[in-house]
Amino acid sequence: MTTHSAPDSSEPPQPAERGDPPPAVAAEADLEARSAAMHADPRFDELRRRLLRFVVPASIAFFAWYLLYVLMSAYARGVMSTEVVGSANIALFFGLLQFVTTFGIAILYSRYANRRYDPLADELRDELEGQPAVPGARKGDDA
Amino acid sequence: MISIAAETTSDERLITVILFGVLIAVTLGITVWASRQTKSATDFHSGGRGFSGIQNGFAIGGDYMSAASFLGIAGMIALFGYDGFLYSIGFLVAWLVALLLVAELLRNSGRFTMTDVVSYRMKQRPVRTAGSVSTLTVSIFYLLAQMVGAGALVALLLGIEEGETYLGMSADTAKIVGIVVVGLLMITYVSFGGMTGTTWVQIVKAVMLMGGALLVALLVLSIYDFNFGSLMNDAAEASGAGNAFLEPGQRYGVEVAGDAWQTMVNKLDLISLGLALVLGTAGLPHILIRFYTVPDSKTARKSVNWAIGLIGTFYLLTLILGFGAAALVGRDAIVAQNSAGNTAAPQLAEEVGQHFGGDFLGAVMLALIAAVAFATILSTVAGLTIASSSSLAHDFYNAVLRGGKASEQEEVRVARFAAIGVGAVSIVLAVFAQDLNVAFLVALAFAIAASANLPVILLSLFWKRFNTRGAVAGIYGGLISSVGLVIFSPVVSGKVDAEGNNLALLPKSIDISWFPLENPGLVSIPLGLLCAVIGTLMSNESEPERFAKLQVRALTGAGAERATKH
Repeated sequence: MTTHSAPDSSEPPQPAERGDPPPAVAAEADLEARSAAMHADPRFDELRRRLLRFVVPASIAFFAWYLLYVLMSAYARGVMSTEVVGSANIALFFGLLQFVTTFGIAILYSRYANRRYDPLADELRDELEGQPAVPGARKGDDA
Repeated sequence: MISIAAETTSDERLITVILFGVLIAVTLGITVWASRQTKSATDFHSGGRGFSGIQNGFAIGGDYMSAASFLGIAGMIALFGYDGFLYSIGFLVAWLVALLLVAELLRNSGRFTMTDVVSYRMKQRPVRTAGSVSTLTVSIFYLLAQMVGAGALVALLLGIEEGETYLGMSADTAKIVGIVVVGLLMITYVSFGGMTGTTWVQIVKAVMLMGGALLVALLVLSIYDFNFGSLMNDAAEASGAGNAFLEPGQRYGVEVAGDAWQTMVNKLDLISLGLALVLGTAGLPHILIRFYTVPDSKTARKSVNWAIGLIGTFYLLTLILGFGAAALVGRDAIVAQNSAGNTAAPQLAEEVGQHFGGDFLGAVMLALIAAVAFATILSTVAGLTIASSSSLAHDFYNAVLRGGKASEQEEVRVARFAAIGVGAVSIVLAVFAQDLNVAFLVALAFAIAASANLPVILLSLFWKRFNTRGAVAGIYGGLISSVGLVIFSPVVSGKVDAEGNNLALLPKSIDISWFPLENPGLVSIPLGLLCAVIGTLMSNESEPERFAKLQVRALTGAGAERATKH
């Protein structure tokens, strides 16, 4: 790791678009104004819809699934203690299934986000920030 | 059957002490290197935002898998079987909240602390103050639990018995020395190494922990010819509880024969604990600030995926370790050493070492796992210390006291001193609390995070109407209700066992308890949310334009903080 003594971060490295105020401040104010306007853009609505369309149902699903597991551990011990294979009971398999669903949702979300969310988010971000002045000045998209 | 204390020879102790020394030397080396990299505020609070997904994933694992996870859960499984596993599942599933709802949006819209996001469209002073108070409370409670545990652990791992001395230390002195050494080390890591140093200490710890757990688990399984079923049967048989050992109900939601009220309370307590575990993780300040150490939100997502993989694998290994300790070490030998089972994992390591290579290998394995446990404590307390010092310097000193006008150099200087202050306070508190039963503080920290922090983070990102009064009411409401309910719960007073021994924090003569649950989450999480909503509706303040900007920033990443290191 090498250190670049970069300036404080809150101003993105952008070309000045107006002459008067210090360039970074102008660019920042400009970005703020464009961000506020972007909120009403139909493409932003679509972006938010794409995010919520996955995370809301997925959150409800894993939360309900986990709650069911905890509730059954408290109130359905007869079912949970039913042996399935040897002394391995339903409680053990239910617990292991929580691992499977956690890994599974994480994988599905990442695939969904890569395919459906990131391209649109990047498009809007690039538009808001303006094209990078120097190739490579962008943050690490490919990291 | 073995017992560390009874058979600890000076050779074993020497190996343990040497490994502890090597570990301290390596981590101090990292700190010296990291201190040269730490100049700006971004370097100090966020390690220059230059960590990769896999590096941050390991660091998250190192931050999150505390001694309570490693030693506590392995011990709980060894003594109570299935319920320890149940506990660990809450710790894992919780990461989906962080992945789906928090990590990326926080990375895009904040700079150094969780309060950056919450306060974005609000009046700075009241919200920053509330965020700082909540961050400090959660972190110091968590820190206290870790440090008291650390003191006891150092004494146990060195195997010093009552009335015996080692290197001139009695068991009681060794406890205090353990607390002070851990405290001084965490101050050093954080105030000199900042987030860069803390992160690398956490990465080293995560690698050691995964390696150590994998090694012991494989050795245990090989004793059973890789037949998990026969390990399970052996564990259940050795536990004395039979098949009930493999079922829920030995530790949580215990059914008390002939006492329907207590049975109901116990079951509600289990649900309350489950809620706090699953909703608390994504509100823990020391976890949240880790998302700022990567270049962008996609890397934050990747790092959470790595963390989920590591943490999940680790808890699966813990199941093997816990059953292994129950089967091979045995309940009596574990309880003889520590009634909560905290030394089950090191005892198991010694046992399997002896099985494969006699006393010498047993001693080496014990020392190895003791060093892993020590590293585990060090990296978690460092994470908690930097979360506290960043919030004190960035939220409280700069935003509240200086109105946001402090220079970067000033903020970093204050953060370094804040780390020293937080460390000193924790050392003093831990020394005074060393004989108290403070294990409940970990669950309490999760309950506060779930009640005070998570609701306001989500509302600030998704509820247009949310405002200053709502955020302040939500944070204080969640904080006060969770801490308040615990003060009047059986963990603080009025809890005795069947023989009449005091199990509460306060002396037996004082009983102020009226809230029956030990875990407040079931009540305090809805209450925190309710306070946030009612507070919001009681104020006319509304900043639709700032909300629009915040949401656009959070979802697109436009104007997000850049990495300063690559």
